[in-house]
Amino acid sequence: MSTRTDTRSDTPVAYGFEGNLRRYLRGLGGLIVFLLVWWVGAMLTQPSYLVPSPLDSVRAFIDLFATTTAIVVPVSGSSLVLPTGLAHLTETLFHYVPGLLFGAGGGIGLGLLMGWNGALDDWLRPLVRVLRPIPPLAWIVFAIVWFGIHHTGAAFIVFIGAFWINFYAAYGGVEGVAGDLTDAASTLGVERDLSMLKLVALPSAAPQVLTGFRTSIGRCWMIVVGAELFGAPGVGYEIINASNNLAMATSVAYMFLISLAFLCMDIGFRLFEGRVLAWR
Amino acid sequence: MALSSESPVNRESREKITVQNVSRAYDSTQALEGVSLSVGEGEFCCIVGPSGCGKTTLLRAIAGLDDPDTGSILVGGDPVTGPGLDRGMVFQEYALFPWRTVRGNIRFGLDRPACGCPDCEARARELIELVGLDGFEDAYPKELSGGMKQRVGIARALTPDPEILLMDEPFGSVDARTRDRLHTELLDIWAQTEQTVVFVTHDIDEAVKLADRVVVMDAEPGMVQSTVSIDVERPRERTAHDFVEYVAQIRAELGEPEPR
Repeated sequence: MSTRTDTRSDTPVAYGFEGNLRRYLRGLGGLIVFLLVWWVGAMLTQPSYLVPSPLDSVRAFIDLFATTTAIVVPVSGSSLVLPTGLAHLTETLFHYVPGLLFGAGGGIGLGLLMGWNGALDDWLRPLVRVLRPIPPLAWIVFAIVWFGIHHTGAAFIVFIGAFWINFYAAYGGVEGVAGDLTDAASTLGVERDLSMLKLVALPSAAPQVLTGFRTSIGRCWMIVVGAELFGAPGVGYEIINASNNLAMATSVAYMFLISLAFLCMDIGFRLFEGRVLAWR
Repeated sequence: MALSSESPVNRESREKITVQNVSRAYDSTQALEGVSLSVGEGEFCCIVGPSGCGKTTLLRAIAGLDDPDTGSILVGGDPVTGPGLDRGMVFQEYALFPWRTVRGNIRFGLDRPACGCPDCEARARELIELVGLDGFEDAYPKELSGGMKQRVGIARALTPDPEILLMDEPFGSVDARTRDRLHTELLDIWAQTEQTVVFVTHDIDEAVKLADRVVVMDAEPGMVQSTVSIDVERPRERTAHDFVEYVAQIRAELGEPEPR
């Protein structure tokens, strides 16, 4: 690389930095305007619990970590003492994580097989068409009668939500595998269908599969809170529990806790995605 | 049986690929109709023809990627029933695995169960060197130019050490200067490996530059029109008198007007 190109490329970098700075400042401005509107709205609204003020909400958020709560760990049955906010978040994760992982695993697995195997596709396509449009939360009635509305029932709802998103991502990904690539692989000695799936279809579909999984991370947060509003323990339950006591600031604190949890997972997964898909 | 007058040194004396009366139809078009053709062992055979003449279909049928409706294809005397490691294929749009590096793409061909190479890593290095990609082992296809991508495509096709190299308009998407260089490199590799090459192109100049023999095909229906042996010493110059003559002859066979 010549020095000339190096000096020239300095300029766009500088522009890029200024551009980013401008974007951050604008974003910060938006947040400040939102806080002001919220604040003024809270001051003008009576009774005060209708719109808790930002300051009260922050105080409530801090309070979530000032007290501790004991929760029961499923399966082992032992008890765990954590700061209150973290305790309820952990309760949510006890059904969110298994629901998401099993749902994604099952959805990706079936999506890959159906996208790859024409006969299986023929068999299952009508069934998928019928089951797919049912909103995950509609299954809550069966979650309740089959499992009871506790961790297992909530995990079941999350499972269904994660299943379909990941199913369609994997299905579409495998269907879109370029014929050129499978041709190339078969001239290089890939004979068995399963080897082709593993060596060509799966890596080729990886970008779509990972995007599907990332989408399901967010969607499952919506679903999990829905399931908890029906009584499963966790942050969603605490939102409605606090509002029953008219402690709306605490509800807001839990809402932000969910947002924070989602952001951490999303950012973490994007970093992982960027590393795995460096070839793109 | 008559005694063969051909010397054993002549590698073209034995038939490596025999295409007998092959026909193939897609929906409403007759891609191939009654195509017969033979390619000698170690021969460099180019197939030229207008688009739609079925030259790619014919190549894919030899590769075992496409089933002809009628007729048969023999490779080394055995009928083709599917793809095989005896036939390497180079694709027009490279068909590299984008998630694998240069080394990874080449290793793909080496790591299949059929591979018996004692040291696959050394063999990969050797192939990378052969196509002049030293220093780019860890690059992903997206980081490579068209010419470099096709070098990887060629190296990958060579991994199982095939007896036959099938090339489908491999240099169609690279610029003219790079193409010239790739021609030279390909002829060098061919001289080293002594493979039988079937090379599909629509570029008559390219065919005359490379081939021992040019098979001229006609479109709708796709059939072999004529075969022209190119009797010119390599390396061949495009401006040489006999080169120009051959090009003109093939162009006339194809019914194409002389370019002004």
